[in-house]
Amino acid sequence: MAERKSPTAVLREGPRALSDAQVREIEEADLAEVGDVDIDDVIEYVHKDLKSLPDYVTLYRKYLKQRWDVYDLDFTQDKIDWTEKMSEEERQSFIAVSSGFHHGERQVEIELPVFMIGAGEEEKLHIAAQIEDEARHTVFFDRFYREVVGLAGDDIMEVLDASFQWVSETFVGPFGLLAYQADEVRRNPYDERARVRYGTTYFLWIEGVLALSVMKVTLSYARWRGFLPAYYAGFTATCRDESRHVQGGMRYLQDAVRKDPSMITEIHNTLRTILSLSGVASRRIYFEPLGWTEEEVQILFFQQLRRKLSDVGIGLTPDLEELLGQVQPTLAGG
Amino acid sequence: MDQPMFFSNEWADAVRDALTAGPTKQQREGKLDEYWDFYELIKSLYPASWALGCRDLPASVGKAPAYLTVRWDGGTVITCQITGPDDPLDATYVLDMDYQGWRELHDGFDPQRTVMYRKILLEDGDLLEFFKTIYFFVECLAIIGKVPAQYPETTAD
Repeated sequence: MAERKSPTAVLREGPRALSDAQVREIEEADLAEVGDVDIDDVIEYVHKDLKSLPDYVTLYRKYLKQRWDVYDLDFTQDKIDWTEKMSEEERQSFIAVSSGFHHGERQVEIELPVFMIGAGEEEKLHIAAQIEDEARHTVFFDRFYREVVGLAGDDIMEVLDASFQWVSETFVGPFGLLAYQADEVRRNPYDERARVRYGTTYFLWIEGVLALSVMKVTLSYARWRGFLPAYYAGFTATCRDESRHVQGGMRYLQDAVRKDPSMITEIHNTLRTILSLSGVASRRIYFEPLGWTEEEVQILFFQQLRRKLSDVGIGLTPDLEELLGQVQPTLAGG
Repeated sequence: MDQPMFFSNEWADAVRDALTAGPTKQQREGKLDEYWDFYELIKSLYPASWALGCRDLPASVGKAPAYLTVRWDGGTVITCQITGPDDPLDATYVLDMDYQGWRELHDGFDPQRTVMYRKILLEDGDLLEFFKTIYFFVECLAIIGKVPAQYPETTAD
């Protein structure tokens, strides 16, 4: 890959307009081709259908065409880049960000099955596909940490144990909440209010805001520097998978509110808890070696949240707007 | 001196003292001052109580399920006592964990993952309110886990 524009250029450009040809390129690229797709285009693609959300069968059919084999990735060049070309500062910054994903993908994989119980039949197809996606993303990070970072382990959990040292203490905020909300849904799988609260944490916050923001940081770094080609290809394909997840999740929340407008209260109450938690950090992460500043990451994060809320028609109350101004997002996703 | 038995009254007294004292300097290392400022703020205002259960307390220790009830007020622990299965359960939040989970926490398993992996679960109480102060709870769980205690072997061991 040639050296390209800076990672943060998109912050100044604003939303992009994707041509039909660009959309086709993103939708139809195989794993070998997806490495050439610009991550900013893929993130724009996530938002493309948010205003007129696709139905679950359409999303399932897209999944069947877009799924990729995580074992087809060859991390040989990534290992060379990691050990010989990247500086220690770059490695430390990168791993401080990517470890949230290593654990986040595992969390969203295991917390999703209970949500399927109370879903409609077509939605079940989409959720089943999403569970398989999340399992594949978990394997992607397991391979990256073994084959590139060089962590050892006899099984997936041992590698997770080894990378946990880089996970921030605030990770438990969104991901612990999701675990407990999943348990709430497990006990009452048809409780629509519990499902909306769960969906707000999982689909709106973790996938729609945290994941897409943080994905962009490491992917734009890799593209800018021309490093880590298998990571770039696999994680860009992951981002394309996330587009289906976010669209399905926003479809669920939008339908729930249209069916019962009082559900907006559940979304607001969940955001109130999440935003209350998000005003504090336990570790300082230096983004500069990846081409970002903390302020730029914040701007990216706010852009992601505002676009999701605006596109699906969810307004915020004044107290939530105030809380939003104090947020320091957890660097993780799933 | 012998260490108190897990879930004994002596252990509950030691937990009360440890929670009131807060994390040691060593436990605070590696985390930002602003994180601990937030912890101290929550601690000073925390109005709630926890009933922390052990679902399968070994018979040699007591009858199951037993609870460690911790009540906060004004930045200090005003109640910290063991209640048995026949006692009334009176707490803002009721949480349960298996004996094995308690032992693992004592042996150094991460308290954040103890929550995330659902080893300890909220059985009763307002989930969204509980999570607004989850960092405080997790740090308290870390403190409780570090209180020296005897954890008897069970037949499964």
